[in-house]
Amino acid sequence: MHSLSSRLPFSFLSLSWGAVGVLLVSYIGLIAVVMSYAALTVEFSQSVKNDEAAVAVLESQYLSSVTRITNTDYLAEGYAKPATEVFVRATSVTALR
Amino acid sequence: MRAQFRSRIRLILVCIVLLALAVLVRLYFLQIVHGDDYAQKADRQFSSGGSGLFDRGAIYFTRKDDTLISAATLATGFLVAINPQTLGNPESAYTAITEAASSTTVLAHDAFLAAAAKKNLVYIEVAHHLSDTAGRALAAKTLSGVQVLKESWRYYPGGSLATQSIGIVSYGSGDALVGQTGIEATYDGILTRSGDSLYKNFFAELFSNVGNLLVNTKDVHEGDVVTTIEPEVQTRLEEDIAKVNKRYSSKESGGIIMDPATGAIIAITSYPSYDANDLSAVDPLLLGNPLVERVHEFGSIMKPLTIAAALDAGVITPETTYDDTDCVTVDTRKICNWDHKGHGRIPMEQIIIQSLNIGAAWVATQLGQDKFRTYFDTYFGSKTGIDQPGEAHSFLSNLTKPQQIGYDTAAYGQGIAMTPVQMIRALGALANGGMMVEPHLVRAIRLNSGIERQLDWSKTVPVFGATAAHETATMMTALVDEKLDYGKAKIPTMSVAAKTGTAQLTDGHGGYYTNRYFHSFTGFFPSYNPRFIILLYTNDPQGVQYASETLDGTFLDLVHFLIDYYAVPPDRGLPAGAATSTSSG
Repeated sequence: MHSLSSRLPFSFLSLSWGAVGVLLVSYIGLIAVVMSYAALTVEFSQSVKNDEAAVAVLESQYLSSVTRITNTDYLAEGYAKPATEVFVRATSVTALR
Repeated sequence: MRAQFRSRIRLILVCIVLLALAVLVRLYFLQIVHGDDYAQKADRQFSSGGSGLFDRGAIYFTRKDDTLISAATLATGFLVAINPQTLGNPESAYTAITEAASSTTVLAHDAFLAAAAKKNLVYIEVAHHLSDTAGRALAAKTLSGVQVLKESWRYYPGGSLATQSIGIVSYGSGDALVGQTGIEATYDGILTRSGDSLYKNFFAELFSNVGNLLVNTKDVHEGDVVTTIEPEVQTRLEEDIAKVNKRYSSKESGGIIMDPATGAIIAITSYPSYDANDLSAVDPLLLGNPLVERVHEFGSIMKPLTIAAALDAGVITPETTYDDTDCVTVDTRKICNWDHKGHGRIPMEQIIIQSLNIGAAWVATQLGQDKFRTYFDTYFGSKTGIDQPGEAHSFLSNLTKPQQIGYDTAAYGQGIAMTPVQMIRALGALANGGMMVEPHLVRAIRLNSGIERQLDWSKTVPVFGATAAHETATMMTALVDEKLDYGKAKIPTMSVAAKTGTAQLTDGHGGYYTNRYFHSFTGFFPSYNPRFIILLYTNDPQGVQYASETLDGTFLDLVHFLIDYYAVPPDRGLPAGAATSTSSG
């Protein structure tokens, strides 16, 4: 041990202090990373929830529109009911639709 | 050297003491001098991270192009709570809250003042579901003792759309919101969120539970639910059923549209219903799903099932004839045709077309009690297994007795009762080559892991042969082409099979009312390769006797709507030589 430390350009104590410093900085860094990770996760999650809520409002408007169209009384809107419905013979597949 | 070292140590100690004193002074100002200010500021701060916010998976409708539309999702906004101990002026606070929460429910004025007087409490919620804008505006006023907190809640974009099948969430026996009815209850285990995934320490997990970081076990069983309900078809069915119910002042009405080949329910409704977003004044009896939980005697829509059973058993053929009389007496009870007329010697087809009770009873006699019971047990003896809670058992006790009258009346749908879902499953066999399918409302689960798991609803129950099904469908098609709406309902380019049903209502004392009825209507199209089967009913309609009067218009409206909406191609051409065919609109 003595011979090893005598051959090194720095003392063993200095090495230990250095290691402690590195570990301390790493520990603080890890805490910062964890906190940032948690904060970003929460922020993204909340952002997704807000977007989903906004989509739900649009979906509600779409479903209301479907209901309004279904409920529309076309006779009351001034349209006349067809007097007759004429079925014609299909001449080709594309003529069907 | 030593003295120099001591002086340095003292200097450091003095610095530390001064630093500690500075910290103490700062803490004194923070906690003692400005303590109340900071406490109120904390009170007013939002719950920023969503900790404790209600979370739950979504339920989706599926449009015809496979687009998903939310049937149940989450809305986010703010709630308002007061701290009576720090609330400044209750009157001004109430005014500010009601102004901000004008579109939502706020505690009544007297109740608010009573809550503000409870000085032993520190937290009382007084308003919910404020919009983002309203919540932030109220928070900006920094009212003393008023807290504006983030919240999320269950939201149904369709309001009352399919609400009895989608279900609701509410507080049960515990303190958590859980699914109570419908799909919300059946798939509660998939929709429920444990809610801790955001707040676990990544590095702690890394050392203690590395497995969960790689494969989160919750991600393989938590997810969203994808239904088979098509929102536009559902809307159409709901509107049509509501119109029937209102027009005839019925006790209740309902309808189901199903794919007979897969059992996928495309639309299902009952009227009256409720708005799932506003449960404040809902009759609890409406919360369940009547199409699954209530049984009815359906009347003559049972006749096609009786005919199909007899055809399958070989006791009749379509060409078989019988002598139809106006009435017959069985076990001392008299049963009659609806028109109290005899129609002479006629083939089996006329039992369906003219809806003859005497003919159906004759077929039941030909089938024999044992075979009749076997077929009807297969139709209705077991629950369908539909993914809804509280499915009721059918009522078939008349088929366990030796009296023939029970079988004769069952042949035309009286004396036995079943749910609408059980009825459409059995009728679906006529449209599916004699195979009963599993009716269902959910087709897939979208797991949090990103995988979409298709549910297996492929189990089928054979009840009669494809030939019997085809022959019965032919009779039902003849009814539409020749009889329904005096033949005007016929669609030259589309075969449609249908049957009406009018049953007398039970009086609760072992008998039947002579002037109160249950109307039903079933049909499928195209007749020989059906895309859709429809079942409609209305219970106790007023001022009308027959189902052909109440439900045929609704049925035909739905048929034409579905043909247009799904672009169902024609399955039959115009008569040879005819260039055009005209039908009155």
